[in-house]
Amino acid sequence: MEYIVVLLLFVVVMQTRVMELRRSVVCLMIQSGLIASACIVVGLNHGLWHALVPCLLTIGVKVIFIPGTMLRLIDKITDDREIFSNINVNYATLAAAAFLVLGYILAGRFMLAPIARDIFAATIMMIMTGLALMVMRRRAILQMCGLITLENGIYLLGLIITQGLPLVVELGVFLDVLIAVVVLVILTNRMSLSFMTTDTTVMKKLKG
Amino acid sequence: MELLITALGLYALGTLAIIWPKRLELAAHYTAMWLATGASLMVLWVACQFLGQAGWGMPIYNDTIWQLGRYSLVLDSWSAAFLLIIGLSGAAVSIYGIGYGRGYLGSRIRQLAGLWNLFIGSMVMVVLAGDAFTFILAWEVMALVSFLLVNHESEKKQVVHAAYQYMVMTHIGTAAILIAFYILGGGADSFAFKDLAHSELTLPLQHLAFGCAFAGFALKSGLMPLHVWLPNAHPAAPSHVSALMSGVMLKVAVYGFGRFVFEFIGAEVLGYGLVVMVIGLLSAFLGVLYASMEKDMKRILAYSSVENMGIIFAAFGCGMVLTALGHSRLAMVAFTAVLVHSVAHSLMKCLLFMSAGSVMHATGTRNIEKLGALAEKMPWTAAFTFVGSMSLASLPFTAGLAGEWLTLQSMMTLAFQAASTELRLLVIFAFVLLGLTGALALGCFVRLYGVAFLGRRRSGLVLKAHEMPFSMLLGMGIEAVAIIIVGVMPAPLVNIMRNVLLVDGEAMPGGNFLGIWWDGGQSVALFSPWLILLLAGVLIALLCAALISRKIVVTQDVTWNCGTEPTRRQQYTATGFSKPLRRAFDFILKPRRERVFLQREHAYFGRKLQYNLQIPDQFTDRLYRPVQHVLIRSAEILRKLQQGSVRLYIGYTMLAMVVVLLWGAM
Repeated sequence: MEYIVVLLLFVVVMQTRVMELRRSVVCLMIQSGLIASACIVVGLNHGLWHALVPCLLTIGVKVIFIPGTMLRLIDKITDDREIFSNINVNYATLAAAAFLVLGYILAGRFMLAPIARDIFAATIMMIMTGLALMVMRRRAILQMCGLITLENGIYLLGLIITQGLPLVVELGVFLDVLIAVVVLVILTNRMSLSFMTTDTTVMKKLKG
Repeated sequence: MELLITALGLYALGTLAIIWPKRLELAAHYTAMWLATGASLMVLWVACQFLGQAGWGMPIYNDTIWQLGRYSLVLDSWSAAFLLIIGLSGAAVSIYGIGYGRGYLGSRIRQLAGLWNLFIGSMVMVVLAGDAFTFILAWEVMALVSFLLVNHESEKKQVVHAAYQYMVMTHIGTAAILIAFYILGGGADSFAFKDLAHSELTLPLQHLAFGCAFAGFALKSGLMPLHVWLPNAHPAAPSHVSALMSGVMLKVAVYGFGRFVFEFIGAEVLGYGLVVMVIGLLSAFLGVLYASMEKDMKRILAYSSVENMGIIFAAFGCGMVLTALGHSRLAMVAFTAVLVHSVAHSLMKCLLFMSAGSVMHATGTRNIEKLGALAEKMPWTAAFTFVGSMSLASLPFTAGLAGEWLTLQSMMTLAFQAASTELRLLVIFAFVLLGLTGALALGCFVRLYGVAFLGRRRSGLVLKAHEMPFSMLLGMGIEAVAIIIVGVMPAPLVNIMRNVLLVDGEAMPGGNFLGIWWDGGQSVALFSPWLILLLAGVLIALLCAALISRKIVVTQDVTWNCGTEPTRRQQYTATGFSKPLRRAFDFILKPRRERVFLQREHAYFGRKLQYNLQIPDQFTDRLYRPVQHVLIRSAEILRKLQQGSVRLYIGYTMLAMVVVLLWGAM
């Protein structure tokens, strides 16, 4: 479990550095894969069946389906300007570090067991970094990556706090994310068709 | 009191004119207006009958006329006095509206006629309300319906501006009244008026309740500095609507204030009365000063309403001060003055707004600078306007003087009872202001009548003027006759209004058909129109005798005019007439003058210039504009916070989350 957490932290920090759309999605894929494995490790305490279903769901939805659609979307975006953007890279990394510190402060306050403390800090860091990514990035794809990171963080938090959520709730969460991403992908596609870019700042034009 | 319920039913029936089919719209108008007239006459009849009984005391709950659970309509003497105003003016103005409203044929006349019924009906409801909820509901209906009526000619941008200003202001007032009721209800068993009367409040709360109630009712009655909506709303509304708003709706605010003072809060605190009195006096003086400056006929009348409401509230405040000093018997003269002047003002203001409507109807303008010589074209309207103007200038033989005489008597009584030097100074100040107000009102209405109806015509618009149809003349005539009756024989009205507030049957301002008198403790004052008539007769006889005994040579010639023929343009203009006042009160009015030379060949001749004169309302400039600026400024700051960027909103969420997490960790 410790290794998974360390790897997860590494991937999330990577995510804040990556500016290229394709690599960012690959990062996301790895991150979701790690979550799936964490799912197995935690879930095994409660029996194989209860561990396997969420794990397979995570792999199916967050590792294969969502990144797959996003990659396909990136293929469609031909505008070179889209691929690179170099604003706020260092800020995002700095923010991620600050959030990790915040996570440990909180974990210390809540007096969790040492291992749970690390995981808790990691989840806080993932949630906040996901939010920060959404705020700081201008590209729609990167904002979606932020959203999924946030989701993963919340999912992991739920996992360690409740030692495995009821299946119905998990299914609901997955469906939620799935629909959100589908809508986002469609919207981004439309956006790139009509504005020739996926820079969300151009959306301001739509305001009355 | 089935008659009152029937009257309310008739108003409701009249309101249905809105949904009549389009091709019957003229029929809908006539039906609705007749229904309003009939219902108002019923209300008048009930009020007269109720007030005609003798021997009752301060507003007690004599008569519950309708009850449904906690909600009730009750009739007592205080509300009956105001029903009298609503009934009389409502009927007269409705008759006038039959003819006047026809001008709106094709432009939502059904809506106008229907809302007209709802408007009068809601005012009757306000006066009859027996609990706070019914009161606020009816009050709000009254506010909204009057807003819709003001907004009737919504094609004009100016009208829409005025209407929305009115709506914002009136809702601020309603909010203040709601707060007052809320505070009162906190200390009472229920929101029924008879329970609110026993509301027990601690002192700071009581002050707050009084402040809110006074602000709310003062706003509705147009006291300065809350009057700003009034001079804009009245010219915007159709004339019969402004007549009713000015003549009756403002009095409904007096009713509400009286209800608060007499029953809920009490006048024991000296400061309350002083505040009311000073604000009333200032409104009276400033109102008439601004009225003398205006050129728009309806704006003149609107500012004159501010003046008269000021006088009414000054008398009210005087009564409250006397009560607080422990002379509740002597205070009755002031409260009688409030009621008598309310009735008188309702009569004369309705009359003059109707006549302003007639002038507009005939010439198409409200600007008195473009009128003149209307008396030849519209003799009846001119005669009625003359009566109304005399009354507003408080000249003898009109209703205006009766109310003002009682007001002055109450000030006089206060002067005798004032124990401290400060209070005496205040009374002197009151006399000065009331005297100035009276003199300025005289000037103002001489100017209005003289410029609009006398002299020679000032523009071609006068040529097409014509006399009004019979219904409009009848409406004005009823009010004019009522004014003269009250003016010549004020005693019946004074006796009735005195009985409204009678406590123990002791000597009050009294009267018989010869006149009215008041025994103010240390002095007895008498006002008899007949005596004045006698005096005037003697004086005229002496004058005639003096003139007849001498031989008089009369030579008729053109006025000497430095050798040129006098032309129309050399008449006194309305602006010129008020010039001395503008100079004298320069420091209050702060007129904005602007001269632009179009052509200037020589220092003394060959010049053409354009002269613009503006009298900005100081309260708008000094008080409302800054508040408006601050509001807009702060709105701009808020706008920066909320500019529609999703990322910014996510940022707020993030910030909130960090704060919550840290707070939880603390």
